[in-house]
This record gives sequence, structure tokens and C-alpha cells, in this order.
Amino acid sequence: MSEEQVVDVSSFSPKGDVLVIAEHILGELQPVTLELLGAGRLLADKMERNLKCLVMGHNLGDIPQKLVEYGADEVYVAEHPDLEKYRTLPYRRVVCDFLESLPEPPHTCLLGSTTTGRDLAPRIAAHFDTGLTADCTELDIGPYEHKSKVDPTKIGLYPNCLYAIRPSFGESLKARILGPWKNPQMATTRPGVMTPLKPDGNRQGKIAKIKVDLKPEDHRLVVVDIVREVSKGVKLTEADVIVAGGYGLGCADGFDMLKDLAATFENSALGASRKVVDLGWIPYQHQVGQTGKTVRPKLYIACGISGAIQHRVGMSKSGTIIAINKDPDSPIFKFAHHGIVGDIYQIIPEMIKQFKEVQSGRGVKEVVGSH
Amino acid sequence: MSGSLNIFVLVKQVPDQGSKAGLNPDGTIDRAKAKRMLNPFDRYALQAALHAKKSYGGKVTAISMGPPPAVEVLLECLEHGVDEAFLLSDRRLAASDTLATAYALFKTVSYVGKPDLVFCGLQTTDGDTAQVGPQLAERMGLPQITYCEDFSVVDGKVHGRRIIEGGYQKVVSEMPLLVTVANSYHPLEYKSFRGAWKVQRLARNEEELKKFIHTIDLDLVGAEPDRTGLKGSPTIVAATEKVGELGGSCKMHEGQSVETLVQDVIKESQLNQFLIAS
Repeated sequence: MSEEQVVDVSSFSPKGDVLVIAEHILGELQPVTLELLGAGRLLADKMERNLKCLVMGHNLGDIPQKLVEYGADEVYVAEHPDLEKYRTLPYRRVVCDFLESLPEPPHTCLLGSTTTGRDLAPRIAAHFDTGLTADCTELDIGPYEHKSKVDPTKIGLYPNCLYAIRPSFGESLKARILGPWKNPQMATTRPGVMTPLKPDGNRQGKIAKIKVDLKPEDHRLVVVDIVREVSKGVKLTEADVIVAGGYGLGCADGFDMLKDLAATFENSALGASRKVVDLGWIPYQHQVGQTGKTVRPKLYIACGISGAIQHRVGMSKSGTIIAINKDPDSPIFKFAHHGIVGDIYQIIPEMIKQFKEVQSGRGVKEVVGSH
Repeated sequence: MSGSLNIFVLVKQVPDQGSKAGLNPDGTIDRAKAKRMLNPFDRYALQAALHAKKSYGGKVTAISMGPPPAVEVLLECLEHGVDEAFLLSDRRLAASDTLATAYALFKTVSYVGKPDLVFCGLQTTDGDTAQVGPQLAERMGLPQITYCEDFSVVDGKVHGRRIIEGGYQKVVSEMPLLVTVANSYHPLEYKSFRGAWKVQRLARNEEELKKFIHTIDLDLVGAEPDRTGLKGSPTIVAATEKVGELGGSCKMHEGQSVETLVQDVIKESQLNQFLIAS
């Protein structure tokens, strides 16, 4: 059991720990926070340090306890009615005040690459003049020796650096980004990339309330409403089947055909590559990949998508990947499970036709019905 | 709102990823040879800035940081109706990470004036971080609306719609304010005839052009060189590694006819289990 009491945080583990900033929408803990606790636990263990977690909100209920069960050693709770809904400035104030109150800044500070994390993390990093790496796909701790003489103050051997690893632009390369000169070393990771620990109800952890001291200028922006769009169809990250389109569709109208294909599946959604989102063929909400969503459906049908690394990192963990592309050299055929080289405008209508036959009971039925 | 808005829009020139020019055989990019373009995300920011001017009155100033060729994207901004532009160009800026970039832009913005609204693209296609906008807002001490997909100005306040996971927030903010514009915002309209004509005229007269596009450096904006470039960047790229070739286990289906081909794939990958039951 954990005790909850208001304490002087400076009395806790004066070493630079690993800190995860938790995220929830109106009290609903976001999966990325549990994933970050899993990743943060590994980093903390490697350095033999504690894993801290900061959670901000109002009426948080059993959330702090849950954070302990998922791996946090110390949970700091900032509760205040003005923290109920995420807003940049009040959250920024609490995080900055908290970090400044610690006897030593955390070694590492992790947030999710969500609309919240990507809004908040850069503010914190700029406030503390520290490094921040966005959208990491891997995190690790390791040594680094800096030899470059451009800035002599940076030369030296750093035994414990945060390795923030992310795909690098336009290239089939991964970049390892470091900034061991200043703590906290900050990074964000995409939802769905890291693995959470199994929750353990017997895990011990300290839970402490911290002081919230907002300033008038923190209220220059107010949230008047939060609208959850349930009607906009299945959320991409929760779909069992994703039918995704890329530049090979040739035009925006191609998505009409993909919509028809998606409509034959249970719990399906439309996905897209960045290129077609940039072109305005389909809204950003459908984008899969490094700068879009990370998805892990049971079935992913990639239509006219070449499969660049930026797309791949967002969908390569899908159960079954089927790729249809007219270019046999497309990288997507290197990691799809089933590939068809051909014209999507011939293949997809045929697929829809055969599915409809099955659904109306005229088709081959032997493989139907495993759900 | 009495008086007119002072609107800034921040833009960046990026390599054109769609073009094969400048692509090395190993997949890396030769930035000197690559075709260049206005960062696609900035097109939405530009549209937002022009929309604000059209709806509420004021002046739009475009600001960019980059090597001299980046003037091309500022010309493009003028063609679309931007009133004036500034290019911060300085060799000492090379290898700046997002924090160093935000600092240099902060000094530039402060040099150019006091904006009511600063629009940025959500992120760039070459950096992909979405960090510079919020970092600049932090330096300027401003509130921000990131992932903004719509906005209006009512009684001197900005009413914005901000995307969040599975929905959106409705927010109201005081000005000055920094906004990063989502690409679900309205696409950039065509170049204005007047703008295009103006740029054509300016292209023939360098002296005249300098009245509209100002190239400035770190000394002029009063930035400390040590806080920019490699020295001012807390992060470095320590290593890159090739992403390993994956799988190689893709079963390629080849067709006799489209019909049998599709039949084959459906059967082998057991697609029927995912169908909506009839």
C-alpha cells in the first residue's frame, strides 16, 4: 500500500532520476503514459535510479496508485481545479516549479508524442535550455565520448547518456541523438511504440501531493469545451482493420474506393501516408507513420503506399500486412506479409466484389466466422 | 478590435522529398543538390496569416531562417500577398538544433517588431519535431495554440479549435499569441495576381526587392552567437545506423487473372475472418 501525504519533495532521492510526465484526458489515463513507465523503468534500472512520475489534474482518484502499479517508484500529484483540462501554461508552470524544487534535476524526462506532450515538452526544454528529441522509437542509456573541439566545454566522457533514437528524415537511417551536457535529457515517444509493464498491485511506491501555485498570466488561454468526436468513425489506433492509401492512388477520389473496401470489414478505419495528407487528399487524422499515428491493427492493407521508413515505423507491428503496389521495387514488399504487384484500380474492386459475395452468402464460406 | 493586427508567419525552406534530384544512391540526401520547396506545413500557416489579415485587417510579415537560397520561399510568400519579409541568414547558424533555432528566431522576431499573432507550421518535413513553435512561444513568454485547425478573432480574443486525440478543444486566448496550424486547416489559396505581378517586378530590380525582403544576420538582431549553431545546441546526432533490411518473407502473389489472384490472397491471408458478418 502507498501512503499519500503532502511532503517536501526535496527530501526524496537526491540523485538525478528518470521522470515520466503522465497524461490523461479528463481523468482517462492515456496508454502512452503506461508505455513510458515501462520504458522509463528500464532506463532507471540500468542507472540504478528511481522512476518518478508527475501527474497533474483534478480529482485524479486512483490514477496515482495505478502509476505505481505500472512501475513508478515515486508519484507526485498536482491537483487543482484549474488543472482539470490540459492547458499549456498552467501545466508548464507546475512542471517547471516541480523540477526547480528538486535538489537535482532528473537525469531524463519523458513525455508522449501526443498533442499534449508535443505541446508541453518543448516549453519545458526551452525553459531549462535543455535538449529534447521528438518521436523516439527506441530509448537506451549508454556511454558517449565527445571529442569535437567546436565547444571545448563539451569535451569529455559521459558514462550515462540518454540515447534518443528516431528515424532520420528521408533516409533509411536511424539517428541516435544525445545531449548529456545538461539534465534533464528530454525525449518524447509515440503512442504504441514502447511496451508497458504488467501491472502489479503489490508494487510499493511513494505518492506525494505537491503544491500548485499558478500565476494570473497562466490563465491567458482558457479551454471552453472539449469535444470527443465519437461520430467520426472508429479511432485509427483502435481499429482491427486499416485500409490505407498512398500516392499510388493517383488522386483524392481513390479514397472513395478504399472507403468501400473498409466498409466490408468489422471495426475498420481509413489510413493514409503523409504525402497524400500533405496534398490534402485526406485529413491529417488519418495519417499513419512517424508524424501521424502509430497503429497495430490485426490487418493492414496498404494501397499504393511505397513503405518509406517514416510510414513503416507507424504500422510495421500490424498483424497481417497486405501490400498492393504497381512498383515491384517498393520497399513495402520488404516487410509486408503478402504482396501484390498490380493496379489497385483492378485489384481492389475485385476484392470488394469477392467480399460482398461472401457476405451475401454466395461465396466460398469455409474460412468465414473465426470472430 | 480597434487598430489592425500585426501578423507574423514563420516559414522554412526544406528539401523536396518528392523529387529524386539530390538523392544519393544510399538513400541519404545531398542538400546542395536537392530541389527546394516551402515546407508543406507552412502553407497552412501562411493561409492562416493571410486569412487573419483579410478578415481583421493588418499587415503580414514573413520570417525565415536559412542559407541565401531561402529567399525563394519568401518571394513565394510575397506572391501570395505577404507584405514584407525577413531572412535571417548567417553561417554561424549552421547545425542549430531546435532550441538554438528557437533562440535565433526569438531574437529575429524581437528585432522585427511586436506581433499580435505569430503563425507557424505544425512542423517541418525535414526535422519533423514540431518543437520550434512552442520553444519560440516559451522564449517570447506567449500562450500558444498548437494543432490549431480553425480560429477567429472576436473582441480582441482568439477563439481557436485545437485538435486532441479523438476530438478537439475549443479555446479562447488573449493576444499576443503563437499558433501552430494543423494541416486540417484550409489549404493555401492560389497566388494573388497582384502579388505575382509585384514579385515579377521586384525580380527585375534588386534595390526595390530589398525594400520588401530584408536579409539580416545575428549581429543585427543582437543574438549571442554562442547560443546558436552547434555551440548553442544541447543535442547532437551522435550516430546514424542503417535500418536493417526487414523480413524478406513477403509472399508475392502473381496473377493468372485478377480474379484468381485476389481469390488467392483472400484465402491465404484468411481475410474473410475480418468481414462484417452478413
